[in-house]
Amino acid sequence: MISLNSPTDPVERLVNSAVNESDLSSESSASEELRQEVRKKLGLDLPVFYINLSSLAESDTLYRIAERSHQENLSKLTKLYGNWSEIQAYYSSLKNLEKAVGQFKADSSLNATYSSNKLTTYKNKSILGAKSLFELNDDNKIIEQISVLDTLYQLRLFSSLNPILKSVKLKYSKIKRNTTNWKNYIPTIQFNGFLNQYHLWLFGDSDRNRGGVIRGDFGKSYIDNKSVGDKMLEMFPYSFFLVIISIILAYLISIPLGIYSAYKKDTLFDNVVSVLVFMLYSLPSFFVATWLLYQFSNPDNLLWFPSNGVKNPATYNNDWSWYDMDSIKHQAPYFVLPIIAFTYSSFAFTNRIMRVSMIDVLGADYIRTARAKGLSERHVILKHGLRNGLLPIITMFSNVFPAAIGGSVILETIFGIPGMGGAVYEAILGIDIPMIVAVFTLTGALTVTGYLISDVLYAIVDPRISYSKK
Amino acid sequence: MIEENITYRQFAWKQFKKNKPALVSFYILILLVLLAVLSPIIANDQPLYMKYKDTSFYPAFETMFNETASGEVIENEDTINFQFQNIDWRTVQLESVCWPLIAYSPNTIDKYNRDYAHPNFPQRLKNYKGVIVELPRGLRHYLGTDKLGRDIASGLIYGTRISLLVGIISMGIAVVIGLILGAAAGYFGNDGLTLSRSQYWLTWTGVFIAYFYGFYTRSLALEQAFNDGIIQGVFSLFLSLIIAALITLTISFIGRKIAIGSFLKKEVSIPIDAIVSRIIEVLNSMPILILIISVSAIISEKSLWVLMIIIGLTGWTGIARLIRAEMLRIKQMEYIEAGKVLGFSNYRIIVKHALPNGLAPIFVSFAFGVASAILTESGLSFLGVGVPDDVVTWGSLLSRGRAEFEAWWLVIYPGVAIFITITVYNLIGEGLRDALDPKHKK
Repeated sequence: MISLNSPTDPVERLVNSAVNESDLSSESSASEELRQEVRKKLGLDLPVFYINLSSLAESDTLYRIAERSHQENLSKLTKLYGNWSEIQAYYSSLKNLEKAVGQFKADSSLNATYSSNKLTTYKNKSILGAKSLFELNDDNKIIEQISVLDTLYQLRLFSSLNPILKSVKLKYSKIKRNTTNWKNYIPTIQFNGFLNQYHLWLFGDSDRNRGGVIRGDFGKSYIDNKSVGDKMLEMFPYSFFLVIISIILAYLISIPLGIYSAYKKDTLFDNVVSVLVFMLYSLPSFFVATWLLYQFSNPDNLLWFPSNGVKNPATYNNDWSWYDMDSIKHQAPYFVLPIIAFTYSSFAFTNRIMRVSMIDVLGADYIRTARAKGLSERHVILKHGLRNGLLPIITMFSNVFPAAIGGSVILETIFGIPGMGGAVYEAILGIDIPMIVAVFTLTGALTVTGYLISDVLYAIVDPRISYSKK
Repeated sequence: MIEENITYRQFAWKQFKKNKPALVSFYILILLVLLAVLSPIIANDQPLYMKYKDTSFYPAFETMFNETASGEVIENEDTINFQFQNIDWRTVQLESVCWPLIAYSPNTIDKYNRDYAHPNFPQRLKNYKGVIVELPRGLRHYLGTDKLGRDIASGLIYGTRISLLVGIISMGIAVVIGLILGAAAGYFGNDGLTLSRSQYWLTWTGVFIAYFYGFYTRSLALEQAFNDGIIQGVFSLFLSLIIAALITLTISFIGRKIAIGSFLKKEVSIPIDAIVSRIIEVLNSMPILILIISVSAIISEKSLWVLMIIIGLTGWTGIARLIRAEMLRIKQMEYIEAGKVLGFSNYRIIVKHALPNGLAPIFVSFAFGVASAILTESGLSFLGVGVPDDVVTWGSLLSRGRAEFEAWWLVIYPGVAIFITITVYNLIGEGLRDALDPKHKK
C-alpha cells in the first residue's frame, strides 16, 4: 500500500544513482534496460497483489511498463478514452518517436546550413518535445505539443522524423475517434496468480534470489541497496538496549515510588511527588532531551557528558567489542543522557498509574481484613496489596514497546544514535519502503511479544487467572 | 446533599469548581483561547493605529482581512499609494503610532537583530534617519530572536493558535469516529446486528460496487478537483461519498426486498465488535508517531489540515474502547430493555438513550487526548515533518534552538508554553474525571 502511493519512483532513483548524469540523447535506450533490470530486482515488474479491481477498459499488463510516470499517464488516458488497444498503439508510436529522436543524427550535407549551436538547440527541443508527450493527457496540451513538434519538423533538417510524428498524430486521432468510454464503467476483477509483489515479498522466489519475509529477508533498501535485514540487525540492538534498560529503570523507580506515595496518601511526601510527576508527565520528551543536552553537554554550562556518540565501539578502537571492560568504561558516558531521556518518558506515566491503582487497592475490604488479622503493614502492602495493584501496570506492558519505538524516533534523532528510530525517520523521509515495512513488521512482532509477556505475568501475579482449559 | 433538586450537569460543575487546580487550569485555558483568537492584534508587524502625513491608518486591522491592503497619502499634491505589508513602519517617521504588544509577526525578519538576539541585552534598530540606535522599549524582542531575526514572542503567540486548533480538531475527528465505532461495537456486539442472508451478501457487493463507481472511476476527476483547490477537492470527495453511500444503500435495500425463501431469509449476524476490536488492536500495535510520519511523507504536500486529520484518524482507539465498555454496561440496563419493548429503533435507542449516559468518560478522554495530540503535533514539527515551513509552531521554534545552544530562549520558552498547555489540559481532564464520576454523587 505504501509503495503504491509514495510520490517518488524508487526505480528512477536507483537508476539515477547507477548511471552518471548523461546528456539527454544517450540516456533513453541505455537506461531502459537498466531500469527494467532494477525493476526486476525490486520485484516491481509484477502486479501488486493476487487480485485487483479494475475496469474493462484498463489493461491488465500496465505494470510491465518500466517508467512509472508513463504508467500513470497511460492509466489516465485510459480513464479518459477507455480504449486500451488504441492507447497502446499510441504509446508504442511515441516510443518509436523517442527512439528515433534519440538516435537522430543530422545529415552531414546540412551541417553547413546550421551553426552547431543552433543544431543542438533544435535537437534538444525535439527531444524534450518528444519526451513531454509521454507525460501529457490533456487533449489541448497534447495537440499543442504535437503542433510544436510539427512546425519544428517542417525544417529540412528533421525530414526523417516527420513521418514518425505523422503516425503519432494519426494514432492519437484514432484514440479520440474510437472512444469506448462505457468500458470504464464496467468493473472487472483481475486475477494475477502467485507471481505478484506481495507473494514475492512474503514468500520469496528462488529465481529472483529473494528469501521473503517468512525467511527473514526484508528485501533491499531503496537508499543504499543494502539488505534491510542486515541493516536492521545492525541498528536494532541500540534501540532495543535503550528501550529495555529504560523500561526496566522506569519500572524499578516508579513502582516502589508509586506504592509508597499511595501508602502515604495525602501527606506532604505524596503531594510533592505527585506534583513533580505530574509536571514531568506534561513535559514533551524532546524538550527534556534538548534541555538535558543544554544543561549537561554544553561547554558554557556543564560539560559532564558528550552530546552524541553512541556507536559501535570498534569505531573508537579497533580491538574493542561491546563487552570489553575498557570499552564499557569508554561507552558509559555516552549512554547516560539518552537513558535518562528514554526512562523519563515512560517513568511518569507508569508512576501515575501505579499510584492510582495502589490507592484503589488499599481502600479495598480485603486489605482491611488483612490488617484486622494483625498482619504487619509490610506484609499487608507487599503481599496483599501489591499483587492486585500490579495488574494495570501489566496491562500497560504490551503497549510499552510501540510507544517506546515511536518515542525513539525523536530521541534518537536528537542524540544521534544509530538505532532504529533515527533510521526509520530517515527511511520515511527518503521513502525507503522496504525499511519502513520492516520496522512496522518488527514492532508488530514486539507488541505481540509484549502481549504474551503480560499474559504470562498476569498468571504469575494473579493465581485466579489460568490459561489451561478445564 | 443540601440541595436535592439539581441536575447532573449543575452537580458536575459544582464538583469541578471545588477542584482548585482544575478551575485555575480552566481559566488559563480561556486565556490561551483568547490569546489564540486575538493573536493578530497582540503580535503584528503593522501598527494598530498610526498617523502618517496627517492621515490616520489602522494597518493591523486592514491587513488582517486583506493582505494587500493599501493606504494613500497626499504629499506635495501628489497622491502616494503604498501597501502596508511592504513597509517596515518601525523605520518610518510617524506622527503618532500605537503598536501592538509585540511589534512583530512570527515571520517578520528583523535583519538588525539576527543571529539570536538576547532577550535581555540591547537590541538594535535602524531608525528613519538611517542611524543604528538601541531598540526602544515598546519594539523590543521580549523573548529574543532566532538566527534569521524572527521574534520568538510573536511565534509563541501564533503557536498557541496552531496548538489549540490541532488539539481540538484532531480530537474532534477522533471522538466522532470513536463514538460511532465504539457505540456500534458495544451495543451490537458480535451478534446484535442481523441481516437476512440476501441483504448481507448484497450489502458487501454494494460496498464493492460503490467503491468502484464512487472512487475508482472518479479518481481522475478527484485528482483534478484537488489540483484546482482544497475546497473543490473536498466537495468532489463529498460527491464521491454520496454516490458510494447511495449505491450501497440501494443495493442493500434490494437485498432486503428479495429476501424470499428460507435460504435467503436466514439471518446472518455482522460481527461488528470483532471487526472494530481487531482494527483497534492493529492500530495500537503500531507506533503512532512512525505511522503519522509515514503518512505525512506519502502525502508529500505539507498541510496543517492533513496533519490534524491524520492525528484524528489514528487517535480514536482509546475513545472507542471507552465507549464500547460503557455500552456493554448500559445495554444491560432496564431502560434500554424498555426502549426495545416499546419498539424503538436501534438508532434511536443508541443516540437518545444509551449514548448520553455513556458520555461522561468521553469528556475526560477528550481532555487527555487533546493534550497528547498537541504533544504529537509539537513532536512532529520539532522533526520538521507535517507542518508547512512558513507556519510557526512551538515545536518548530524548539527545533530552531537545537542548532545553537547559546540561544536558551529558543528552547525554554516554547518548552514552557507546551508544558503549560499540556498541564492545563491534563488538570482539566483530572478535574472532569473527579467531577463526572458517579461514585462521588452519593
